[in-house]
Amino acid sequence: MAGWIVLAAVGVLLFWMIMIYNGLVSLRNDVQSSWKQIDVQLKRRHDLIPNLVSTVKGMMEFEQDTLEKVVSARAKAVSAANPQSKAEAENVLTQALGRLFAVMENYPALKSNQNVMHLQEELTSTENRISFARQLYNDLVANYLTRIQIFPNNLISSLLGFRREEYFTAEEAARAVPGVNLSLRGK
Amino acid sequence: MPLTFIDIERRKNWRIALFFLLLLLMYFAVTAVLASSFYFGPPSASPRFWIFAAGTALIIAGAHFWSSAVGAVGAVIRTLNAQPPDPRDDVHKTLMNVMQEIHVVTGNRRKIQCRVVPSLSMNALAAADLKGDAVIAITEGLLSRLTRPQLEAVMAHEAHHVLSGDCLEATVAASLFGTFSAIVEKLGHTTRGRAFSSPAFLLAWVMLKLSNLLNLFISREREYRADAAAVRMTRNPIALAETLHLLSRSWRGAGFIGSGFEMLCIVNPLATALDETEGFWADLLSTHPPIRRRMNVLLAMARVSVSELDTKAARREKAKHAGTPSEKAAETKFFAMSPQQQWQGPFTAAELAGLPWLSPLTWITGGDGQAVDRAWKEPPVNAIFAARLAEKEKTLSNFICPSCRQSLVIESYKGTQIYLCRFCAGALVESVKIPRILARNDQPAADRVKALTRTALKENQARFAEHKLKRGHKSSLPLLPCPRCKNPLFRGFYSLAYMIEIDRCGFCGLTWFDRDELEMLQYMVENRLAGETAAAR
Repeated sequence: MAGWIVLAAVGVLLFWMIMIYNGLVSLRNDVQSSWKQIDVQLKRRHDLIPNLVSTVKGMMEFEQDTLEKVVSARAKAVSAANPQSKAEAENVLTQALGRLFAVMENYPALKSNQNVMHLQEELTSTENRISFARQLYNDLVANYLTRIQIFPNNLISSLLGFRREEYFTAEEAARAVPGVNLSLRGK
Repeated sequence: MPLTFIDIERRKNWRIALFFLLLLLMYFAVTAVLASSFYFGPPSASPRFWIFAAGTALIIAGAHFWSSAVGAVGAVIRTLNAQPPDPRDDVHKTLMNVMQEIHVVTGNRRKIQCRVVPSLSMNALAAADLKGDAVIAITEGLLSRLTRPQLEAVMAHEAHHVLSGDCLEATVAASLFGTFSAIVEKLGHTTRGRAFSSPAFLLAWVMLKLSNLLNLFISREREYRADAAAVRMTRNPIALAETLHLLSRSWRGAGFIGSGFEMLCIVNPLATALDETEGFWADLLSTHPPIRRRMNVLLAMARVSVSELDTKAARREKAKHAGTPSEKAAETKFFAMSPQQQWQGPFTAAELAGLPWLSPLTWITGGDGQAVDRAWKEPPVNAIFAARLAEKEKTLSNFICPSCRQSLVIESYKGTQIYLCRFCAGALVESVKIPRILARNDQPAADRVKALTRTALKENQARFAEHKLKRGHKSSLPLLPCPRCKNPLFRGFYSLAYMIEIDRCGFCGLTWFDRDELEMLQYMVENRLAGETAAAR
């Protein structure tokens, strides 16, 4: 009799462990696939930049160094080998693009050009997609970390080697919280 | 995320089963009442009667449920005449991009279509059905007035309805019971109040009243939840609050978005007092929470108050209006050196653009005649050359101008493509694009257009009155041929309120505007310069 009880208890325990393990695996896969999503969007940005640069080059005679910066930042980002340097290069690229957009505001001829407008819209959308993909990644990482750290799960996760995943940290310039920054107090 | 997907699936299946039972019960009651009149004696006595009534009710309810709930998204799209976004249209392109962004932020869990409703009203709605289709529709009016962050917030709000599954139950409810309200509305129109004598109307009316109970099941809470989720996705509570603020002051499509679809919309198209009140009964009976309260919740997240938002909107409005006259006063005159080495002028920038000999290397002096410089160094003059360059890229279309028989040129106007005649300045527009153009009023109308509009309106009113007096009076002007199918274009007013004479082709869906008529129509719609005859009639 006692043997049966022990056997049932072991069975329940095993079943429970399998459930937790499966849950953790699917969460980890979500995290990894969302990391790939960021890469997809970054690739899209790299493909758009040469188009934009060649379109605006002729009309922005005095801003050659701004354009140069964008081009070189893109080249660095494309050729970056490890994730750390890639993240840094992408941040530099984001800032260079931001500067380019700010400068473009001063050129009415650019604003009336259909091609430039379309490219700018595409790039704005891509920037949004990148930040949304990062946001999704961070949300999923937070979810995953909570799951592997809460009480009964942490026994299993450490036993079966579920690693911590790192958050994606934003560049310094983008740290300001957009919601509060937009305050309507006549700024 | 508080709920797993399994929880959501289970809950919504339970709700939808409840809808079906409710429908069944309604049909059962109605069949029993109708059938009892054919039975002599007390109907409760015979079990066959009850079996017959239940069977009939089951068949009718099943057919009704199947026909309306399964393809509900298609039905919603057809009813609203929602069009897929046009990738060659700038604003629609933005919409498509935003939809893609929403897919990214939700992790591509579900494919959602997006559609544009050709209407000047301002609303957005989401629908999903049992086949697994999901759609977000937004009206041209709202689309053209939102900034990009605001559009993102609206789409995120609607996407949450779809992803959380509450949209499915609302769509099923709306399409199941919306049928009755459509019947009641239609019969009410055609019979002018005598409808209560007809049994079909009575039946539909009873069903409609019963289906109002449905609002009990559609909770107000889901709008708060979708607002919160939209903020979680876009991290921008102010954009959504601004949108709600804008919606609260606009035509939300009452009368256009058919009754039955109210619960799918971001704000109720009918601005009812019930929606704006709080309390137990309002919570129970209304499907949308008070806009004011929704805004308060959102603004609390951003730590600003409603009055601050109000003053900001007022200031922006004022700046928009103040901007135009000051611009005019600041319009500088230029002197330019002709090829004969003579100074000519003064010209405004527009007059300068008309000079055939003006080139980027022409010597020019601005305003008060201080500095002399090459033309391309003056930004307003340089804009002329940019425009000229852009003009060279224009392509000819296959259409021929109906009045001067020259090829029409494809031109970008307010972000969409129209066909323009270079000789008579008439414009050919696909009829689906007219609401789009009318909704986009970012540039103020020129004074000439304003004056023309007033004159044309007065004249057209007089002509309309005359036309009514002399029945069958024919205009002496010959009808123009349609550029596509060569059939004569039908000539008439855009509407009895906006009396601008246009030529329409009923077969091809094309509309021909003579010179300035498109701008005049736009000015009328913007400023609501309606004809008096239409109101007095």
